[in-house]
Amino acid sequence: MAIHEKSLIDPARLQTSDNLVLDGVDVSGHWNTMVLPRYLTDYDTDFARQIRTFSGGENVHRCWQCGSCTNSCTVYAQNTDFNPRYWIYLTNLGLKSEILKDKDIIWTCVSCNRCTNICPKDVKPEGVMKALAHWLEEEGHTPETRSSIFDDEFLGQVYATGRIEDTRVLVNFLRKTNQSLTPPWLIEVGKRMMKYLPVSFLIHMGLHLIFKPRTKSWGRTGDVLREYVREQKEIARKARAMPKEAVHV
Amino acid sequence: MQNTILVVGAGPAGLAAAASAASGGAKVVLVEKAAKLGGTPILSGYAKLVPSGEWARDAMGRMVKRVEDAKGITVYKDTKVTKLTGEVGNFTATLSNGTSVACGSVILATGFTHFDSINKPEWGFGSFEDVVTTTQVEQMVAAGKIACPSDGRVPERVAILLCVGSRDRQIGREWCSKICCTVSTNLAMEIKELSPTTDVFIYYMDIRTFGLYEDRFYWKSQEEFKTKFVKARIAEVTRAPDGRLLVKGEDTLVKRPIVIPMDLVVHAIGMDPNEDNPEIARVFGVGLEKHGFIDRAEHYTNTCGTTRRGIYAVGAALGPETIDDSISQGTAAAMRALADMNALVQKTA
Repeated sequence: MAIHEKSLIDPARLQTSDNLVLDGVDVSGHWNTMVLPRYLTDYDTDFARQIRTFSGGENVHRCWQCGSCTNSCTVYAQNTDFNPRYWIYLTNLGLKSEILKDKDIIWTCVSCNRCTNICPKDVKPEGVMKALAHWLEEEGHTPETRSSIFDDEFLGQVYATGRIEDTRVLVNFLRKTNQSLTPPWLIEVGKRMMKYLPVSFLIHMGLHLIFKPRTKSWGRTGDVLREYVREQKEIARKARAMPKEAVHV
Repeated sequence: MQNTILVVGAGPAGLAAAASAASGGAKVVLVEKAAKLGGTPILSGYAKLVPSGEWARDAMGRMVKRVEDAKGITVYKDTKVTKLTGEVGNFTATLSNGTSVACGSVILATGFTHFDSINKPEWGFGSFEDVVTTTQVEQMVAAGKIACPSDGRVPERVAILLCVGSRDRQIGREWCSKICCTVSTNLAMEIKELSPTTDVFIYYMDIRTFGLYEDRFYWKSQEEFKTKFVKARIAEVTRAPDGRLLVKGEDTLVKRPIVIPMDLVVHAIGMDPNEDNPEIARVFGVGLEKHGFIDRAEHYTNTCGTTRRGIYAVGAALGPETIDDSISQGTAAAMRALADMNALVQKTA
């Protein structure tokens, strides 16, 4: 065993090459294990400004690390790895690589806003969590998930028709995620419906599935909405790409 | 019974004591060891004062003018007190210029000495030109240009290290110097005003911007000027191959060591007891408290009283003090000295 107490070392910093020959000596496997240094070597001084351009992140630089947000956090009570106070600190110093380590839990904020109500510096930590989640998404750190596919399908229908059809959302979602169109739970739903037989509702649903109704006078509303969202994202993207911040920005 | 008050030191506290005593009807002899009046704010070339934001030369200038214009104040510059004999009501002081002063009481406004950063060699002062003190940055701000001494470039990044020469048992300085946090947050704003694209980082253990300085300096510096506050006590400052400085320490909140490049490192130097305090204690026969500042006999009924009757101490002579409070204490001591002398007159009458 080359390294004792491996559990104390962040796995990403342990490097082992399976095949390595040095000066004719085979040092494959754990013989060549190296531990990368754990110190932080720089700040991304523009990062906090970028996060401030996302809705909700405007006040992130105000934080003085009292920890009221984490202490009051609903999610933290369930999962102590969920620490808004810490992520706000990392944001302000621009320690992006540290934030990325937690990319899979930052979005689990439930927006109960207890942190926002208790924050003595009005940082709005809930907003910062939202801003960070959006940043992660924008930068492509969050891969497509079933959840995001569902959201896209849902939003796509709203744009197109000004409404959603439950059945169509469900069917398209199941198709796009390569799932069976007849999962056991859906069959169960069907069975129970048969039991009470809401005839007019079923006919209604069937017709909607075929004729795809639109909200009255929806017209180009969907296109306009889509264009507005695109414009807003573009403006935000430009703001983020701005060179170095000047004072009072 | 002498109606003269001897004031030693012409900084904010001494100037206030002299002016107040004179306006209260006493004769005043003001002795200053430097060639100029105004004390440390003037001698060290401070920029804008905390919390008024007024230039030191204007603020101290007014105080000096008030003393110079007052009737009944004799000023001796470049002068020290070498001997003091007698007792309350009847002291005789001998000055280094040979003058003898008969006085009823003495107010010591002898101030402090800036901590000499050379005593913390691991933080690079004296080894690297771009490691400077808050006093030097004050001078840069007063001159209107913030630059790295090594090559004159405008720093992209400035690190201000707090508690240099304060709160450090290793160098026998167990006190908080009280005002460096506020001064540092103020300097961070002044640096930003001179160079808006410079990033300023303040490395702290605690931020002690007490009272109304909290939002006016700490919050404002953070919220409006985007000063970054990093919880880390720096262990060492070294130089990278490219000539930039590296601050090393542990980021307490990330729980990891840091090695961060900086262009300019600023020591927020603390207040030491005046280096002349042993001599002052001997000449005036007053005691020093355990840190080396002038001791009080008792706090509550004679706040400015030293361990010797008829001798009062004010301002940073008693411990790290703000300019505003030093001025208040100077005025308070003048009042007290007048009152004590009046009581003596009543008693003898």
